[in-house]
Amino acid sequence: MDRVNPRNVLVVVAAVAGCVAPFVMGDLTFLMRMLLAAIVVTGLSLLMGYAGQASLGQGAFVAVGAVTVAVGTTRWGLPPLLVLVAAPIVAGAFAALVGVPLLRLRGHYLAFGTLALLLMVQTAMSTLDFLGGAFGISGIPAFGVGGSVFTDQRPYVLLALGLLALVLFVTHRIVDSRFGRGIRALAGSETAAESAGVPVMRGKLVIFALSAMYAGLAGGLSAFFTPYVSPDSFPALESFTYVIMAVVGGLGTLWGGVVGAVLVSTLLQVLNLVSSQPQLPPTLGPILQYATYGGLLVVALLFMPGGIVPTVQSAAARAVSRRGGAGRT
Amino acid sequence: MTELVAYLISGIALGSSFALIGSGLVVVHRVTRVVNFAQGSVAIVGGMTSATLLNGLLPHGLGEIAAVVLCGVLGVLVGLLAIGRRGTPPLISLIVTLGASMLVSAAIIWLWGQDPVTPPGLEGSVTVLGAEVERQRLLVVAATGVAFAALTLFFSRSYLGKGLTASASNPFAARMVGIDVRKMGLLAFGLAGILGGLAGVLIAPSNPLSFYSDLPLVLSGFAAAVFGGLTSPLRTLFGGLGLGVAGQLTAGYLNGSYQTEMALLLMLVIMIIRSRALVQEEVK
Repeated sequence: MDRVNPRNVLVVVAAVAGCVAPFVMGDLTFLMRMLLAAIVVTGLSLLMGYAGQASLGQGAFVAVGAVTVAVGTTRWGLPPLLVLVAAPIVAGAFAALVGVPLLRLRGHYLAFGTLALLLMVQTAMSTLDFLGGAFGISGIPAFGVGGSVFTDQRPYVLLALGLLALVLFVTHRIVDSRFGRGIRALAGSETAAESAGVPVMRGKLVIFALSAMYAGLAGGLSAFFTPYVSPDSFPALESFTYVIMAVVGGLGTLWGGVVGAVLVSTLLQVLNLVSSQPQLPPTLGPILQYATYGGLLVVALLFMPGGIVPTVQSAAARAVSRRGGAGRT
Repeated sequence: MTELVAYLISGIALGSSFALIGSGLVVVHRVTRVVNFAQGSVAIVGGMTSATLLNGLLPHGLGEIAAVVLCGVLGVLVGLLAIGRRGTPPLISLIVTLGASMLVSAAIIWLWGQDPVTPPGLEGSVTVLGAEVERQRLLVVAATGVAFAALTLFFSRSYLGKGLTASASNPFAARMVGIDVRKMGLLAFGLAGILGGLAGVLIAPSNPLSFYSDLPLVLSGFAAAVFGGLTSPLRTLFGGLGLGVAGQLTAGYLNGSYQTEMALLLMLVIMIIRSRALVQEEVK
């Protein structure tokens, strides 16, 4: 071993930072939301980047996961661990079910179809009393296994970190597999992939369901953390935020989702702090939020179409090869 | 019976605004293959600008026209972002216009605040077949009729309109005969801005608009446009009217909160049934 791969160093740094942060930061709500977003966006990045299908309504599956936890714990009194495991399964099954007709659509039609799905899930939640109705479901118990119950925010953050690592590992294994290569082929051309023997529809459905499972997992965890679930918890803007994070981080890269979630969340948090100064007008907050979202999307897509991770990667590769070349001569 | 007539007329009025927004999406999609997500936000700017201008600055008529023209300019600006950079794939352009619509939302909150705004419209109501109908709703229907007639004439008779149709049906051949396809794309965005602005100006007096309205507006417009396969303005008109009437009947006889869902469900069903044909259009 003569040279340390810079990417591995970055991964180790990120992991250490992730493990240290819960012990030094005061309010962990921000960190928790960031981690949950990272889990959702990793799935969305897989769907958009590798399978080439855009979803503007990923929040629908976050909502399904959260509702699973809320209904399971408060209505049926099921143990927390069981419902947390059930959340991604229910979300994935729901996605597989609606995906059969929905994934016949592509491009713009799928983007609008998923957005319509999100709005319909919201309506179902607000009209069916079983799913909470207009007031939502409150009183979700704290997460815990056996006798030990989570009493403050820190264990939630650590659990989210662990689950994010699991999600990244699963994604890595899938992308590197034979199945993953087939998926990447169908993103390029479905006709070509199909004639090469890739089961196109099944592949898209599996990735769609998998990204929904990630979203459902994040939703389930957020239901325990908040502990309150209502139709207003999953606005369309939130789903657009996932798209922004995925695009900013870099579609079709393993770490793009995490990088996008961290950068966009941090930027929004800073803007929030700035705009909540008492002498400033109250509308400044939403103005800055929308302007940042819009500006980020436009600038990232027009000037860094690959996203941050691929751009930095290629720049780093160039720098390394230049330095390496200079050192050897 | 009177109830039914009232629902039908308000449905047609609502559907007219869907059709106007949807035809804006169609005009842009035909030429550029881009779906312009900012179409709803542009309509809101139209409604709000007319409210400001009619508040003592300009008389009725002029104020509305000025607002619609401003929306045309705004449409071109959105177009510059979406297709200004060569080689941006259509799906990426959709997300760019999503970004543009967020920028417009920021401007709307900055200029007009977060509360719904409604400009003055036609006062009073008339009786049609025994049902009382607001005059503003009749104005919406009439103006939409005129707009679609003008649009049809523009595409079939004017030099620019023929250039747009040429760029839509075969961009390569259009370029061969000296049509600047990119300029035509921007023109389409401007035209879409005008149509969206018209929709906003017309519906704002009876449905107050806020920056939150962008999503319902663009979704109903898209739903109408799906009936036209994102290519036919005329079928978009019928799609919009059908959706508006179906929505009002749902609201009237079932439950008001299912109105949007009815439109969304119809849109999904149409898209999925026609998915084969739609995909082929997308590939072309």
